[in-house]
Amino acid sequence: MMTKDTIQPLQRFQHMYRNDRHLWRLVLMIVLWLLFMAITRFSKFYSMINFQTMAAQFPEFGIMSLGVMLCMITGGIDLSVVGTANLTSILMGFLLLRLTDAAGGLPAFAIPLVFLLAILIGGSLGLFNGLLVSKFHIPPILATMGSGELFTGICLAMTNGNAVSKFSRTYAKTINNRLFDLIPVQLIIFIVMAALIWFLISKTVFGTKIYMLGTNENVAKFSGLNIDSLYLKTYMLSGICAALGGMIMLANYNSARADYGTVYTLQCVLIVVLGGVNPSGGRGRISGVVLAIILLRLLETGLNRFPRISSYYISLIWGGVLILVMVMNYFTEHKKVVFQEPTHPTLQKETTE
Amino acid sequence: MKKILAFALIVLLLGPTLFAAGQAEKKTGYEIVVVPKDASNPWFVRMKVGVDEYAKETGLNVYQRGTAQIDATLQAQLVQDLIAQGVDAICVVPVDLESLEPVLGQARDAGIVVIAHEGADLENVDYDIEAFSNAGYGAFIMDNLAEAMGGEGLYTTMVASLTNGSHNEWANAGVAHQKATYPKMKLLEQEPRVESNDNGDVAYNVAKELFKKYPNLKGVMGTSSYDAPGVARAIQELGLVDKAFTSGTGMPLDNAELLESGVVKSLTLWDPALAGKAMISLAVKVLDGEEITEPVDLGVEGYTNMMFRKGSSTVLEGEGWIVINADNVYDFGF
Repeated sequence: MMTKDTIQPLQRFQHMYRNDRHLWRLVLMIVLWLLFMAITRFSKFYSMINFQTMAAQFPEFGIMSLGVMLCMITGGIDLSVVGTANLTSILMGFLLLRLTDAAGGLPAFAIPLVFLLAILIGGSLGLFNGLLVSKFHIPPILATMGSGELFTGICLAMTNGNAVSKFSRTYAKTINNRLFDLIPVQLIIFIVMAALIWFLISKTVFGTKIYMLGTNENVAKFSGLNIDSLYLKTYMLSGICAALGGMIMLANYNSARADYGTVYTLQCVLIVVLGGVNPSGGRGRISGVVLAIILLRLLETGLNRFPRISSYYISLIWGGVLILVMVMNYFTEHKKVVFQEPTHPTLQKETTE
Repeated sequence: MKKILAFALIVLLLGPTLFAAGQAEKKTGYEIVVVPKDASNPWFVRMKVGVDEYAKETGLNVYQRGTAQIDATLQAQLVQDLIAQGVDAICVVPVDLESLEPVLGQARDAGIVVIAHEGADLENVDYDIEAFSNAGYGAFIMDNLAEAMGGEGLYTTMVASLTNGSHNEWANAGVAHQKATYPKMKLLEQEPRVESNDNGDVAYNVAKELFKKYPNLKGVMGTSSYDAPGVARAIQELGLVDKAFTSGTGMPLDNAELLESGVVKSLTLWDPALAGKAMISLAVKVLDGEEITEPVDLGVEGYTNMMFRKGSSTVLEGEGWIVINADNVYDFGF
């Protein structure tokens, strides 16, 4: 029997769990996996360098996933993130090549400049997607698939399929650095971007509007929302995210090429769905997506610790986890215990204890 | 309840440390990892056969680990993971040189020995192993062609394109070897080098024309992996089997029929299994602190007399070519 003083925290916990089932499931999976790694490969997994490596690896596709998440919240998708990332990084690669002086150094303004330009390029490429989706009413999946191919095509035409490299190592060194010798710079870029997007979607009117747009486009339209401008802004943000992902790749590989990161397109979509964003729009939160990003990296790095386990199992486990989560969500929803986005407090059903 | 929760939390936190004590590092020799371009390509499945064999023979902690798909970024991340894991040596067949370069730099900074294969232009490696020198391989193809032709007759050479670096070096070396060793053979002066565009159909058509135009042409030395098979189809169709011959690079299973029916006596190739073994063997030598001086003997067939490429202090070239004929065509799995 429960004693009096334990009921309250337990209830609070239950309440917390019911409101965020999805999130807790991801947390549980991460904890289980960490525990499993602890039991089987403790010394090889729990090292500072390993966590630093992982923290430097996930930002490039993590930031791209954040963009895909925004699009998916509006009921769309962005399959051009990798194309955008590569086009940006190739263009900036060329620029860095131009800026590199004879001694192999870079002028002080170079790095802020390329980041600023990357944001502009990513923004305009995203705007192009937004135009296709809003003005020409092309289904996002087709519009962005097409533009992704287009961007990749431009990359190939510009480089003949070769890598853009040999620019000053200063750029890569700066981004590959660790703040206070501890925190990878890539991670900081990711955190800044994630915080910004969190603020945008949960604290601003823009955020509320894109959730409404994703829930029902027609209702949003007749409620007087300017949906064209919303689409444009969303895809522009996604383009900026992708461009920043590209800039991190440019640093991580000290080069840019038309076919880098081709696996990320699908990976980003998987992460976003696994993170609890409803593929038909209107629901999902950034915390889930961030957890999904981390879970993916932990799974992949963890599996790399097992020499005898073929890497095919990464796809297998990843696919299995994804389907499991979606099936669990189905059951959750059919039990009528509602997992709702907190931005629609009116829709939230009271959970009685 | 609170106590149970607290207890669970403590177990969660302390458990790993306790388990860790149980699995204290067993340092049984080196941990060496071979990273191919990907895990599913038959070429690298064959490489894994060699790696596993090596592990079995020596008892070293040696294994191959590839990504599920060919992708430069995935390969770089895998190598990063291996660095974080603190392996002793990484043997890599790079997907893309540029993207791997900084990562291999990190590996070397971490004191990990890096051996590459087919990455002669990489800078951040201890050594790079090439199965053979271009000159050596060209001469080897010529030996095979000469054997089929009985050491006499008119022949010509085929390359993917006249601008292809390695193919032309092979062909040049083959011709030079013929002049030195097979005096009764003669290069077709009118058309000493033809192009196949790395395409079996082009090779077939070009060969058909050649044999019609020069009835006494007896042999074609192929370089690209489409040359000799394409020429062989022409030989077969023109009814010139055992009158005209060809040899050159070719993949076994694709050409099993041609080899078994005797249209082609032999094709040439290098064996990824042996290349894998050679990489590990070299890594062990470097880890043992042995000085690497010419000729390097890695104890692997074809890699016992390795020489540095001219002007390079990292690229080692072996004599790792092999003959593929009707007897061994099914041994490789690709």
